[in-house]
Amino acid sequence: MSKNFLEIDNVTFAASAKNKVNNVSLQIENKGDIICLLGPSGIGKTTILRTIAGLEKIDSGKIILNSKVMSSKDIHIEPENRNISLAFQDNSLFPHYNVIQNIKFGAERNRNKKIFLNIDEVIKFLHLEHVLDKFPHQISSGEAQRTTLARSLLSNPDLLLLDEPLSNVDQSFKEEIQVKLKQVLTEHKITTIIVTHDSYEAFYLGSKCGIILDGQLKQYDDPYNVYHFPNSVEVINFLNRGTLIPAKVTGENTLESVDLGTIKGNFIKHYPKGSDVKLLIQPEDLEHDDSSNLKLEVVDRQFRGTNFIYTLKTPSNLMIPVFVHSHHIHQHEVDEKFGIKRPINIDHIVCF
Amino acid sequence: MYLKKINIWYLSSFLISLIVAIPILTVFSSFFDSTGNYSIILKNTFLYEYIFNSLVLLLGVLILTFLIGVTCAYLVSFYNFPGVSFFKWALILSFAVPAYIYAYSLTAFFENYGTAFSILKNIFGDANYNLYIPKFDGMMGAILSISFSLFGYVYVLTRASFHYQSQSLIELGKNLGFSKKKSFLNIILPSARPAIIAGLSLVAMETLSDFGSVSFFGISTLTTAIYNAWISFDDLALANRLSFYLLIFILGLFMLENFSRKKAQYHTPTKSGFKKKKPINLTGQKSFFAFTFCALVFFVSFLFPVLQMLYWTISFPKHLADLNLIKLFSNTMLLVFLSSILLISLSFISNYGNRVTKSKLLNLLTTFSVSGYAIPGIILAVAFITFISWFDNNVISFFGLKTIKSIFIGSVLGLILVYFIRFYSLASNGLKSGYLKINYSIDESAYLLGYSKFKTFTNIHIPYLKNSMLLIGILITIEIIKELPITLIMRPFNFETFATTAYIFASQDLLEAAAAPSLFLIVIASFFILITSKYILKD
Repeated sequence: MSKNFLEIDNVTFAASAKNKVNNVSLQIENKGDIICLLGPSGIGKTTILRTIAGLEKIDSGKIILNSKVMSSKDIHIEPENRNISLAFQDNSLFPHYNVIQNIKFGAERNRNKKIFLNIDEVIKFLHLEHVLDKFPHQISSGEAQRTTLARSLLSNPDLLLLDEPLSNVDQSFKEEIQVKLKQVLTEHKITTIIVTHDSYEAFYLGSKCGIILDGQLKQYDDPYNVYHFPNSVEVINFLNRGTLIPAKVTGENTLESVDLGTIKGNFIKHYPKGSDVKLLIQPEDLEHDDSSNLKLEVVDRQFRGTNFIYTLKTPSNLMIPVFVHSHHIHQHEVDEKFGIKRPINIDHIVCF
Repeated sequence: MYLKKINIWYLSSFLISLIVAIPILTVFSSFFDSTGNYSIILKNTFLYEYIFNSLVLLLGVLILTFLIGVTCAYLVSFYNFPGVSFFKWALILSFAVPAYIYAYSLTAFFENYGTAFSILKNIFGDANYNLYIPKFDGMMGAILSISFSLFGYVYVLTRASFHYQSQSLIELGKNLGFSKKKSFLNIILPSARPAIIAGLSLVAMETLSDFGSVSFFGISTLTTAIYNAWISFDDLALANRLSFYLLIFILGLFMLENFSRKKAQYHTPTKSGFKKKKPINLTGQKSFFAFTFCALVFFVSFLFPVLQMLYWTISFPKHLADLNLIKLFSNTMLLVFLSSILLISLSFISNYGNRVTKSKLLNLLTTFSVSGYAIPGIILAVAFITFISWFDNNVISFFGLKTIKSIFIGSVLGLILVYFIRFYSLASNGLKSGYLKINYSIDESAYLLGYSKFKTFTNIHIPYLKNSMLLIGILITIEIIKELPITLIMRPFNFETFATTAYIFASQDLLEAAAAPSLFLIVIASFFILITSKYILKD
């Protein structure tokens, strides 16, 4: 039997005949690990969670939890017998019970087991104290989502599945809840799969991230690698944090770009000298330097609080993002020239 | 793969829907049976008259209910005038007066030497007032009786549609420079059209099903033809064949009603876009007209039959004293109690079965079986008897068992079963609309919290739907109190309700004696309507 805590072995998840995520294999090695699944809307992320929870059946492959087969072609353990909790994205609170009663439904599930989470503590960190007596129709969608999260957390599941858990939560609470949620999940070793379309949330919460695109699990790796070493053009396009520019490999550690000149760095993958490649440029790869003779035209400037992201146009009309600290001494307006430091050194070179 | 879906919930739901579908299937299958000579006579002589009468009656009732229902709904929804809050709910009290009781009142008031005559005589002294008092009998009497008893359907549905029309829609009309008349004709009325059609379809179905008032006025319609074919000529096959013709027509209306209701939903604005209307304050002549119109409709549809029945009950105390009120009340309530329990519990199982199995076949069968409410009670009763006779002759006797006819025909059990078929859609659709409000993810959340399907049913669904159950129970009560043809045909010997007692006296031309049971029937039905008026007016 599998040594992994959760093993998904070659399973096709089907939301409908057309909408499928094919032949997915992924593992959660240890109890208490948190993984995140990222992908665009409608790709089938929720279906994956529903299938793991037992709400959908599978026709091939296996889902094994804690060395026990939960789903296969011939075996289907009913959702009520899996001890897997799924917090739905939409309001799934019992409409005729108030918030505290809904939360207690979670705690009741495993009342014979030792309750490892304190109900008051969960209510407090999810900021639900003021709505405990209210009914679902009397609270906001963010409060309903936090109540669902509380109910799921308190059900003491073997596996917790969270479907866009904070999508409706106010920005003012969101980061605080993310921090506390990660702390609670890690401290109490609650194995969790989180589905989200927010890559920042995924990179923060997950010890591993899976990228689902075009009906496939494209990449499953730790967040740093997913960001810095994307394994396909589709992943780069989905994360939308870089651009591909044409270049020629000129040596062991060098490339030559028509627009940017010589670029040095460590290749992640070997390419023979003279190869034409597409080089990934991410916002933090290039440095600003007013005194540089490599000047590009500013076409857009986004203020992100801690930084600016300038979009620059090269002579061959490529758009390149460049990160600049927001305390930088001066700002560049659209249509102005923007200097790029030379020589260009990129820590790791990702090409396709 | 399909067999995997079959479980206890599936089987129960399938069986329940099948029982309800039996009369419909019986009527359809009987179309090919041979009929007695009466059918030839009927075809050569009266059939076209029956069809013609049914159509004239239908047209008359539709025009009248449209005018009364839409006007009342429009006035109480868009204007403020003295008594508007009262009329909003008082106008639905007409539901408490069955068409046949209205017919008794109408006749009693306008007949020669009737109540109108007595009033004129008391005021103006002796004279032959009969010459001046209009006579509402025959077709006109039936059209008036049915219209005043059924306009409530058009009123309730149209009012709901007007109620949900957003102020923004009205403001849009003003913004486009429309006059009030143009706004009404181009914006308000078209957006309420699906609701009006749904209301009129219900009225049409009830009109074609009506037995009590047309038989009282001696009008030959398809419904009375079915009754006569069976009772007078003992030709069950012909009764079924006539039922088939009527059924085709009614099912067409049923589909129209269903389609219009669905369409009406699209005309209802979403909660977020809804802006409450500000009614316009009417003054002077306009206010007087609005008040007078609503007051007149309320008086004619409700107070008039009540006062007429009350007058006779007081005038002829002997008939009241002769009535065994306790027996009539307990019989009626026994039927109400047993039917409600059966209907609600089986509808619950069927709805839940449909929900958990998600079977298309089951869903189709349920949709088909709920069309039972569109079928006239008289057809259901005849079809039920046909089926039991067929089953007894072919299945029971094949196994050499004792006949079951006496168990199901002329018994409380048989009566309750036909009520069950007749009102199944009321209970089932009522619960279904409650269930539609429960997002499926709520069930799934319960499963994921470790609840089995049965526990989800008992701990989540039943507590949530308890108000719906209560409302359905009361609506069934109102319907059963008023129900006449099924009770008349299926009841055990000497087992009477308020409705059958009133009918029997009226059919013997003893209208004074019919007054007391009619009055009690109206009072009890009004009581139940009043306690549910909040819900009836909501949707």
